[in-house]
Parts: sequence; structure tokens; C-alpha cells
Amino acid sequence: MSGTVAHLNTGPTAEVGLEREEHFTTDGQQIHAAKFGLWCWLLTELLLFAGLFLTALVLRIMHPQAVTEVAKHLKFWIGATNTAVLIVSSFTMSGAIELSRLGWQRGMVRCMLATAALGSLFLVLKGYEYYEDWDEHMMPFLSSRPYVLTQDPSSRLFTDLYYITTGLHGLHLLTGVSILLVMTWMASRPGFLGRRQNRIEIFGLYWHFIDLIWIIVFPVLYVLNR
Amino acid sequence: MSPSDLVLGRVSEGVREPHPGRTTIDREPDYLHDEHTLRSWLGSTDHKRIGILYLLSITFFFIIGACAAGLIRLSLVVPNGQIFSNDTYNKLFTIHGVVMVWFFLIPSIPATFGNFIMPIMIGAKDVAFPRLNRTSWYIFMTGAFFTLFTVVVGGVDTGWTFYAPFSTTFSNTWVVPALIGVIVVGFSSILTGLNFIVTIHTMRAPGMTWFRMPIFVWTMYATSLIFLLATPVITIALILLVMERAFHIGVFDPALGGDPVLFEHLFWFYSHPAVYIMVLPGMGVISEIVPAFAQKKLFGYRFVAYASIGLASLTFFVWGHHMFVNGESETSAVVFSVLSFAVAVPSAVKVYNWTATIYKGSLKLDTPMLYAMGYIGLFVVGGLTGLFLATLAVDEHVHDTYFVVAHFHYIMVGGTALAFLGGLHYWWPKFTGRMYPEALGRLSAFFIFIGFNTTFFPQFLLGYLGMPRRYHNYPPEFQLLNILSSAGSVVLALGYLFPMFYLTWSLRYGKRAPANPWNAKGLEWTTSSPPPKHNFETPPTVDFEPYDYIAREDRV
Ligand code: HEM
Ligand SMILES: [Cu+2]
Repeated sequence: MSGTVAHLNTGPTAEVGLEREEHFTTDGQQIHAAKFGLWCWLLTELLLFAGLFLTALVLRIMHPQAVTEVAKHLKFWIGATNTAVLIVSSFTMSGAIELSRLGWQRGMVRCMLATAALGSLFLVLKGYEYYEDWDEHMMPFLSSRPYVLTQDPSSRLFTDLYYITTGLHGLHLLTGVSILLVMTWMASRPGFLGRRQNRIEIFGLYWHFIDLIWIIVFPVLYVLNR
Repeated sequence: MSPSDLVLGRVSEGVREPHPGRTTIDREPDYLHDEHTLRSWLGSTDHKRIGILYLLSITFFFIIGACAAGLIRLSLVVPNGQIFSNDTYNKLFTIHGVVMVWFFLIPSIPATFGNFIMPIMIGAKDVAFPRLNRTSWYIFMTGAFFTLFTVVVGGVDTGWTFYAPFSTTFSNTWVVPALIGVIVVGFSSILTGLNFIVTIHTMRAPGMTWFRMPIFVWTMYATSLIFLLATPVITIALILLVMERAFHIGVFDPALGGDPVLFEHLFWFYSHPAVYIMVLPGMGVISEIVPAFAQKKLFGYRFVAYASIGLASLTFFVWGHHMFVNGESETSAVVFSVLSFAVAVPSAVKVYNWTATIYKGSLKLDTPMLYAMGYIGLFVVGGLTGLFLATLAVDEHVHDTYFVVAHFHYIMVGGTALAFLGGLHYWWPKFTGRMYPEALGRLSAFFIFIGFNTTFFPQFLLGYLGMPRRYHNYPPEFQLLNILSSAGSVVLALGYLFPMFYLTWSLRYGKRAPANPWNAKGLEWTTSSPPPKHNFETPPTVDFEPYDYIAREDRV
């Protein structure tokens, strides 16, 4: 990685590189630290979700029937579309990274905007899905809307886990889109790539990770036992 | 922006000069005298200043936790619970536990000494992410004050463990804000751990190989791994509690489809490893002090390093020993019991190695060493009683009694707090450039050791005789032991007050400290006391082994 950045300094439109911070001795050290730090963060994020995944899986094994009933009520097609939307957004983000390495600032900004748009699309679809759930009386925590499924506790626990997991993922996506928009604004200013190209790469990792989490959420909640 | 732009409030040259008009030594200002404004401290990205900020903050939280403890002991002087109402008593022990565990013990050594000393020990200019480091402190303070706020408005009565379904359904106190505070503080732990791991991986000076790192750095590494791997689990567990309590999204309450044992699993999956967050850094400090005051190479350096990682890994597999009496299956109880016994092995390795280091060393019984020896004794008692508790039949008898209270106080207060004070005295000259009064230091160590044992040893007996924990009234025959315990806590409190006074005094009147007052080894003693802004005048290269004290035989 450090190699690519170093010898692509004569990109077509903008200079690419990074400004070394005072406490690092080499560029390589700074790049390594940033990447490694983000990987550590992603590990903690994975563990944050892992407790939820594990509980959901145990529930499936112990109470297959109850879980199947809930799974049938989940909006498979919205989930599947959202999976596709996020995968495409990962592509556009990769595009942004590739273009940033080449110094094509304009193309990079466009790719980033596309990524943000896809992320928002996901959130809109998710919101619609929640609305449908509400409509179908699939929200056991709302006392005003009697829960449609049997009062079987394990189906209820699974439904609750569904909201917590997708809600937490949605929150991550919302944060991701916000950061992405701020970053796009900063990255569109002249000279950005010469000093901060590194940040695009780092953010890209985070974005792919949100995508990855969804790729686990989707089968665990929507697909298995269906 | 470079970090220097971020240091707010640069001041004029005149203000920088501490004693205008006097001739000063021709030297770059050290980190303490680099700038003087409050802003230059609160906006600092210097790991040393952040370490000092943490030191002040956790001292503050310690005082709050200690006051609550004093009131608990006061209440238990009489058997009938006349001093405080049941409700007040519950709130007192909760705030004591919450503050001491989450806001004092867990950040204590990592956030203060880890921040200050660890980067210097590996020859780095700073941690890998200085601004993140500052952010962690702000997150920590925000979360901790959020929780403290709940005390002002009415308190919490769940105990520091927040067990469901009491915390989600039955408690009528300020559980949600308290939980949010603890969750927020967790992020600060995660970020600190992340910063340390990246720092240790990427910022070591040339020649500082993994097996040339001081043991303190190893334990910081192991502790950071636990921060990183365990904290997210407690975060999600507490988030689930908040969800259930605030929005009735049932996860733990059986009436809402939940399972309260699930909370215990998630909670102890973090909180047992968390006890090693408290104890590993203490072991690191002791492993620095013992060789320095025995003037001898640390015995079995590699084993001590491996034992740190061993403890950090094993600790993830024993959480079930907190659940022996909650209906856990017999098989899992046996497995957890055996695994808990296994933890004793790396712990014992450390104790043997310290003992072997002391053996035939040229001992200097200065304050840090007194604290270290006290630590070793108390840690052994705490660890051995841990084995009692890990034994199924014994735990059946003493579970949720004062025996457990005594066990974990021996480890956490006896162990961690003594290591903390030992380290504070050991590195005080480095932090402040001043020496503390040695005689008073030794006196404080004695007071703490005596006070501690008088406070907590009777609790083993109380627990064994059947006094349950968390009750404010008890059968009158337990009164004598309780009075003894309460009296001990007064002595203990004096022991803590002492250092607060003479250390503060030494800031102004203490002797100026040389770079290496203890004739110790390690990079932190090669730079001036206090160190310059970027730790070293010239970046160090490491071509020596850790703890290379001259062997006794070679000395004249
Ligand atoms: C070395 C550092 C250790 C620390 C800091 C520590 C701390 C603690 C704490 C805080 C508790 C009480 C938790 C509560 O509030 O309910 C506890 C309980 C317990 N500890 Fe330790 N401990 C340590 C070592 C050990 C070891 C080595 C073992 C076993 C070999 C052990 C076995 C137990 C058991 C079985 C309990 C549960 C007792 C019960 O509730 O019945 N501990 N420990
Ligand atoms: Cu434990």
C-alpha cells in the first residue's frame, strides 16, 4: 500500500499522498498504524454483533418452529434488495478508493456520492420495512398493537432480536452515510488528495465492514429456517 | 492540520519562561512546563499530559467510591440496620461498586501509567493516535459524570452487576442513565486498548523487539486485548438492558420472552476478563518494581511475558464459575470449575518469578518495594480463595456471602490498588520531577497493609459463618467481626489520605528528582525527569536486554 501511494504522485489531476504527523518517523509507519487501528475497531464491532448473532442462532437450534414462524413474517424481498444495494455500494466505494489512488478527484467524489445515495436508499427501504412490520402487528413491544404471533416466548425473543440487530446495523449505516457526506465535502476541496488520501482508504474499510455485517445479518435473520 | 496546530492556546514566550528574570538551565522545557494554560492541558494530545489528566480524574472517582464505602462500613457497625434505610444502603453499595469498578479500577493503571510510561518504555514519541487518546479521556469523563449525575438525582439500587430482571423490571431507580454512563465509559476503554495495541505494534524504537519490551508493556498489551475483545460484549449486554427497560423490547425478562440467564452469560463473559483488566496491569507494575529494588534481572522474563498472554486468553473461558448456583448444568459447572483452576497456573508462575527475583537480591525496602511485597502477599490470599470458590461444593456454601466480598477485595483492592500506589511512588519522580518524602511513604504502605487486612480478613470469617452480602442487617452474633472490619477501614482510609497529602506537598517542596533515582533499567529512566515534550532529546535505539542489572556475582 505504501508503495502505491508513494509512486503515484504524478496522478492525472491531483497529487496523491499524505502529510506525515509529527510523532511518526516514516510514512509507512503512519499508514500501517491507521490501517491496523481500523482493523482493531472492526474486530470490536464484529464482537458487538456477535453476541446478537449467537443468541439468534442458539434460538434457531432450540426453537426451530417458533423461529420459522417469525422468519416467514420478515420481508424477504426487501431484505434481499437491501443486500444487493449494499453490495453495489461497496463497489462504488471501491471505485472511489481506486480513483483516489489515481488522483482523479472528480470521479472519486462522484463515486462517494453514489455510495452515500445507495446507503440512504438502504435506510429508506429499511424504514419502509419497519412500517410494514408495524402494519402487520409484528412489533411485540408496542402494547397498543397486539402481537400477531402466538405468545410463544421464543418467537417473541427472536422478533426482539431482529429489531435490535437491524436497528444497530441501521445506526451504523446512518453514521457511515453522515461521515461519508462530510468526507466528500472535504475531499472535493483542492489539495485534499495530496494530504489525506489515506483517509479515503480507511473509510472504505469501514464501509465494506457495514456491508459485511449485513451479509451476516441477512441469512441469520431472514433466510435460515425459512 | 498537524498536531501542533491542535494544541490550543499557544502562549507568548514570556509566559513560557517559568521564572522570568532568573537564570535558567539552557534546556528545552519539559512536558510540564511546555505551556501553562488550562487550555494547553485540556486540549493536549501529549500522552503524558493525558496520563496526568486520568490520574487526577480517577483519584477524584476513588474519593467518591471510598466515601460510599465508609458509609457502608458505618452502617454495618450495628446489626439492625438503623443507620441507613434499606433503600439508602442499596444505593450506597451500588454507587460504591459502580464507581470503584468502572471508573476507578478498570482505567486506573492502564489509563494513567499505561498512557504516561508505556510509550516512553518502547521509545516512541507518542501513542499512535494522540487525538483519539484525548477523545478517550473526554468520553470517559462524560460517561462517568453521567452516571454520577444519577446519584445526585436519586441513585441506583441494582448493584454494580445490574442483574436482570431486577434492573429491567423491578427497580424503581435511575437505572437507564447509570447504564448509559457505563456504556459510554466502555467506549473509552475500547479506544484506549486499540490505541495501545497499535502503538505497541507500530511505534517501537529501533531495536525494541518484542522480547526486549519491559513486562509492563506486555501486560498493557494483554490488557488491551481484553479491552478490545471483551468490552463490546458488555456494551451489547447493557444496550439490551436499556432496550428492555426503556422500550420493553424483551430480551431478559421471561414475561417478555426473554431469559435472565442470558444476561449473566453476557455480563460475566466480560466481567470475569475484566477482573484481569484490573489485575494484569498490577502484575506489570510489580514486575518493574521488583527487579529495580532487588537490583536483579527479572527471573524467567519470557515465562512472565507468556503468562500475561496466557492469563488474558484463559480468562475468557471461566465466566461460568459465577453461575454455579443458578441452575447451570452439572457438566458445564465441572468444566468451568476445572478451567478456573487452570487460571491458577499462570498466576502462580508470576508469583514464583517475583519471589525468585527477590531471592538473594540486594533488597532496598523503599516505598514502592513495600507496596510490591504487600501486593504479592494479598494477591496470593485473593488467588487461593479464588480456588476455594472455584470448587463446586465450597462455592455452594459461600456463594453470595462475605467470603466472596473478601476474595475479590483481596485481589482488586489488595492487589490492584497496592500495585497502583506502588507504581505511583515508583514513577512519581518521572511524572513530576520531584521526590516524595520516603519516611512518610513507608508509613503509608504500613498503614494500608494493616488497615486492609483488618478490614477484609474478618469478612472471610463472616462469609464462612454465613453472613450474606448486600444486606444491611445481620444476626447480632456477627457484630464483633463487623466492628473489627469497620475499624480497619478507618485505618485503611488514613493510609490512603497520607499519600494524597505528601505527594501534593512534594510537588512544591520535594527534592528535585534525577533522571534515574532508583538506578533502574528501562528506557523511561534514560530520559530526564520530567521528560521533554517528545519524550527523548534524541530518539533512542535499543541494544540492550530488558532488566539488564548486573548479576550479583559480577558485582564487586
Ligand atoms: C486474579 C484476579 C481476580 C479478581 C480480580 C477476581 C475478582 C472477583 C470478583 C469481583 C468477584 C465477585 C463478583 C461479584 O460481584 O459477584 C469474584 C468472584 C469469584 N471469583 Fe474471583 N477474582 C480473581 C481471581 C479468581 C481466580 C483465580 C479464581 C478461581 C481460580 C476466582 C474464582 C472466583 C469465583 C468462583 C467467584 C464467584 C463466587 C461466587 O459468587 O460464588 N477468582 N472474583
Ligand atoms: Cu470470575
